[in-house]
Amino acid sequence: MIRFFLNSEWVTVTDADPSCTILSFLRTEMMQNSVKEGCAAGDCGACTLMVAEASEKGLTFYTINSCIALLGHLHNRYLFTASSLGVPGLNELHPVQQAMVDFHGAQCGFCTPGVVMSLAALYQQTLQQGGSLSALTDEDIHQALSGNLCRCTGYTPILRAAKALDSYPQQNLAAALEATEGVQEWQPSGAESILEQGGRRLFQPQSCSELHHLLAAYPDAWLWAGGTDLGLELTQRFKAPDTIIQLERIAELQGISEQEEDIVIGAMTSYTSLEHGLANPFPSIARLVHRIASRQIRNLGTLGGNIANASPIGDMPPVFLSLSTTLLLDGVDGPRELPLQDFFINYKQTALKQGEYIAAVKVKKLAADERLFCWKISKRSDDDISALMMAIWLKTDGTTINDIRIACGGMAAIPKRALHTENALRHQPLTLDSARNAASAISKDFKPMSDVRATAEYRLQVAGNLLQKLVIEYQASDKAEDVA
Amino acid sequence: MSHYSAFPKSDDAYRKRPSKGGRGKSVTHDSADMHVTGTALYVDDIPEPARTLHAVVGKSPVAKGTLKSLDLSAVKASPGVVDVITIDDIPAERDIGPVFKGDPILAGPELMFHGQALFVVAADSFRQAKTAALAAEMDVDEASDAIVTLEQSLAAGARVRPDHTMNKGDTDAALAAAPNTLTSELYVKGQEHFYLEGQVSLAVPADDGGVNIFTSSQHPSEVQKLVAEVLGIAMHKVTVQVRRMGGAFGGKETQAAPWACLAAVLAVRNKRPVKLRLDRQDDMVLTGKRHDFLNRWTVGFDDEGRLLGADVHLAGFCGCSPDLSDAIVDRAMFHIDNAYHYPAMRVLGQRCFINTVSNTAFRGFGGPQGMIAGEAILDDVARAIGADPLDVRYRNLYQEGQQTHYGQVMEDFPLAELMQQLETSCHYRERREAIKAFNAQNPWQKKGLALTPVRFGISFTVQHLNQAGALIHIYTDGSVYLNHGGTEMGQGLFTKVAQVVANEFGIDLEYVQVSATATDKVPNTSPTAASSGSDLNGKAAQAAAQTLKQRMTELAVEQFGVSADDVRFENNHVIVGSGDTEKWFTFAEYAQFAYEQRISLSATGYYRTPKIWYDRNTSTGRPFYYYALGASCSEVLVDTLTGEYKVVKTDILHDVGDSLSPAIDIGQIEGGFVQGMGWLTTEELVWNDKGALASASAATYKIPTSVDVPELNVELFGRPNAEATIYNSKAVGEPPLMHGISVWCALRDAAASIAGYRFNPPLDTPATPERVLNAVMAAQVWQEAQNKAPSREGNE
Repeated sequence: MIRFFLNSEWVTVTDADPSCTILSFLRTEMMQNSVKEGCAAGDCGACTLMVAEASEKGLTFYTINSCIALLGHLHNRYLFTASSLGVPGLNELHPVQQAMVDFHGAQCGFCTPGVVMSLAALYQQTLQQGGSLSALTDEDIHQALSGNLCRCTGYTPILRAAKALDSYPQQNLAAALEATEGVQEWQPSGAESILEQGGRRLFQPQSCSELHHLLAAYPDAWLWAGGTDLGLELTQRFKAPDTIIQLERIAELQGISEQEEDIVIGAMTSYTSLEHGLANPFPSIARLVHRIASRQIRNLGTLGGNIANASPIGDMPPVFLSLSTTLLLDGVDGPRELPLQDFFINYKQTALKQGEYIAAVKVKKLAADERLFCWKISKRSDDDISALMMAIWLKTDGTTINDIRIACGGMAAIPKRALHTENALRHQPLTLDSARNAASAISKDFKPMSDVRATAEYRLQVAGNLLQKLVIEYQASDKAEDVA
Repeated sequence: MSHYSAFPKSDDAYRKRPSKGGRGKSVTHDSADMHVTGTALYVDDIPEPARTLHAVVGKSPVAKGTLKSLDLSAVKASPGVVDVITIDDIPAERDIGPVFKGDPILAGPELMFHGQALFVVAADSFRQAKTAALAAEMDVDEASDAIVTLEQSLAAGARVRPDHTMNKGDTDAALAAAPNTLTSELYVKGQEHFYLEGQVSLAVPADDGGVNIFTSSQHPSEVQKLVAEVLGIAMHKVTVQVRRMGGAFGGKETQAAPWACLAAVLAVRNKRPVKLRLDRQDDMVLTGKRHDFLNRWTVGFDDEGRLLGADVHLAGFCGCSPDLSDAIVDRAMFHIDNAYHYPAMRVLGQRCFINTVSNTAFRGFGGPQGMIAGEAILDDVARAIGADPLDVRYRNLYQEGQQTHYGQVMEDFPLAELMQQLETSCHYRERREAIKAFNAQNPWQKKGLALTPVRFGISFTVQHLNQAGALIHIYTDGSVYLNHGGTEMGQGLFTKVAQVVANEFGIDLEYVQVSATATDKVPNTSPTAASSGSDLNGKAAQAAAQTLKQRMTELAVEQFGVSADDVRFENNHVIVGSGDTEKWFTFAEYAQFAYEQRISLSATGYYRTPKIWYDRNTSTGRPFYYYALGASCSEVLVDTLTGEYKVVKTDILHDVGDSLSPAIDIGQIEGGFVQGMGWLTTEELVWNDKGALASASAATYKIPTSVDVPELNVELFGRPNAEATIYNSKAVGEPPLMHGISVWCALRDAAASIAGYRFNPPLDTPATPERVLNAVMAAQVWQEAQNKAPSREGNE
């Protein structure tokens, strides 16, 4: 059984396909047609919904792509649709909706409910954090809208609407909910399945020990670590797994902790949490994460999921390959540690054994003479998969490259280090000439392919050019620090 | 379904004041409240009738070949499946080509493109149908000679329609005499419509053997005709209704019909409602797109960059059937000159056959693909003579009285003034100097700038389509019901036409209820396309309103003995008489009065565009009633190491005549520009060497997101149309898309800066970071060669 809050009441679901998506359930079972299907793959945002989660800190509002999110995600959470956003007794339209009307933010209207949800989450979360709507920056708004495609308006009226939100009477949904409903505490569901139909099951274990029991009992289960890629197996390839284990409720797998030499990141830490949690130790990762996928995807997608997925075009593996990273694995046979560079075996093949999962990622902090640089090259700036991803860990005194590690995505069947190029640069002066000379080594490290995102020639050319960028950006950042 | 809430009786009950929301007023979209609350119903949102079946299409695995056998037994046995049909199950007409034949509704045995529809399965749920469709087994003889590129098609001489030529003057002599000539080419890729709502139709069988269709189509009358033909029944047995579309952009002009026809066949066969909705992956594979064009030219010019003649070949990537390609390639040919006078010109338009989905209408309809070549020519000429491209553009603008290469005389052509106004307001000259200085200082970043005009011909070039009908009822409470042949796809047409009607009656806009386009209300309609929606339907609705006003006026003349001049429709009233004897009736009172006097309060209106003609045999005439004008200036910043770039700022000055609805017009301009920018920058159609679409999802086909949009300033030029269009407004749907060309020109300008603006970097479209980097590197190579070469005087 699962339950979620919608339209002023708790909805209970006992009989549903365990692999049913939220979008599919709302549209086909509940006639909630304000939520639209645009792509069913998490790429367009027409299906965006706002969810709120209660914790001791109060409500947290966030957006999801309901097309690839499991119905189970809603369990014990608050769901908002465009048609349920206005709170009875308050304004008929939420300020976001009124602004969208007043600034002509909708033309065909099909993407609009999703846009409204993204702006509403920005609005409510800004209030929750004690922020000011008048202080919202272009960057804040673009980030909120990064996963919402609009084909009609060219976005400008939507941006105008977002910038005017402070001029409308404030609507605090959290306060309204707390006043009328009271915030519900999370109630563990234990190791029992929360949805079951025709012998197929969905589990939401609360602890690693529960997870280990389930892994032993259901060795073929899909491990759902956010599902932002796995979800496409359901909606694009129409697969129907017998068992899905959602890992999102296991607190032990969440969060970022700092040790003396290392940072340990729980595998189920979302990209959104990385943006905040890594801003200090690894600002370049935090900046990179800003450009990975969209806000909706970053709210559900996780670091562990990205690594275990082992896609050659995932953005996190090259970053952590360039750093000194160890995976903390766990499972039915007990824990073990594995250097990340030994994890990727072949295309989408990893060293994970059956019944094993990534529990955490342990990465060495940067020393004073070490820097990390990340470049994501794609056709489109936001919400695009990389044609080429390069991360460089550099150890330098400012004049000589004392040590270097370079890792790339999109250049091979697996995320991979550029060892020849590293050798060509190690102990060389940190100059553009060194970078130009080393560029030819890239073709010894990689034989990339041509595909829909870029040709092999471009990938090689840019990978070589990025070595120059390393020098340019190092010098620019060095100057900036001098000024600071 | 107007959002204007309750029909008001209270506050200012008599509304004795100027009416609200008439012509020229900025009003919100008629469905705005429903859009933001998600309560606006699209076809897939309509509550499904009981026992509705869901249909899914099975597709061809090869681009060309023969289907030797198709075993559908596993499909039929799949859970929930009720019916499966192939081409053999189509009751009557099997070819649904809209203008020319060539579009079999289902394929077999001949296969013409990868993904072509082969069969349709109907099941109790969408997921069941989708799963079942995967179970088909087929034996296909794949041909080895599929044509999958435009170059292959040109080499093979494969065409879907004959070539066509437009001629002006003696081009060969002009080129031979020209002091300078340039020969070049530009490959312009097509574009996926990416309307957010995919194709969808719901067919509900009627008790008389007919069928009612709810569809997302720009052309309900054509859907009606094709459904009738496919079923072998009369058109009067088919009703097609379109309330709104979730975007269309030309992609639902002909491309909505197959799915409506197939749903209708299944509905009639099974006596059950059938919904056929294409999910995104099917939609991208199964429906046509904007045509790629390979444009090649030789242009002659003097030392001041004045154009003397051009010989142009425009080859359109039509796909496997004619569809609308004849008119699309014609429109590319009509727009190759854009705004510039060529004393002599020869334009060859080729309609190339390819084993891909048949390409179709897309906002601009071939015009943009021709126009961008025209603008590339102007830049090339400017760099060849070492002048600022804007100056060379001014030098070549049409003068009033000059003729185009198809013989249309330029009248009312204030484009130079418009461009100068924009040049001043956007500080073009100062920015040009600042950019040159910036570029000289920065090896790793280059800025580019371009100011380009748009001149887009308004009218269907197929003359008979330039007509429209409307229907207006006035009810006895004074509320007005409006119907017309135009469809609402988000462009605000319903709102604009309602504004026309409110304006005619002098009543508030909220009196006027817009309604779904329906073939049983206004018959034999044209597609809502060619930017013509408000020009045609606004005029038709105005005619209907004027008929009703005339009846109501005659009644007053008869009953109150006043002259017709003394009956006015304004201030939400019908005002009869003048001076002391003036009587004010509320609109409702007068409607009730007219009803009691047995005056018909329902009228149709009709409009056909005057003045237009075109003789395709001689390629001369006046195909366009008028031209819509505009200009834009874009600035970009390019990274010379990766080819990544940012479009920094775009200023647009656009001519919509006397705007019918400024907020809606500005929305069309902003949205059109961004769509045009997307076409030329991030959106890339990629077909693999087997002719399958590799960019068949939102993960691989990238339309702009909000962060891609530059600082964007849009102004309206504000000069009334000299032609007697509806309130002297101008069409606005398509023309702004071509402002995206200034972005492409600016990117090329940035690359050319590396070569001192004397080299023309090749930059096919879309200008992805990869192509921009290649342009940058080509400019670097050219400049290095110049640096090494012994210095030579003058131009090469």
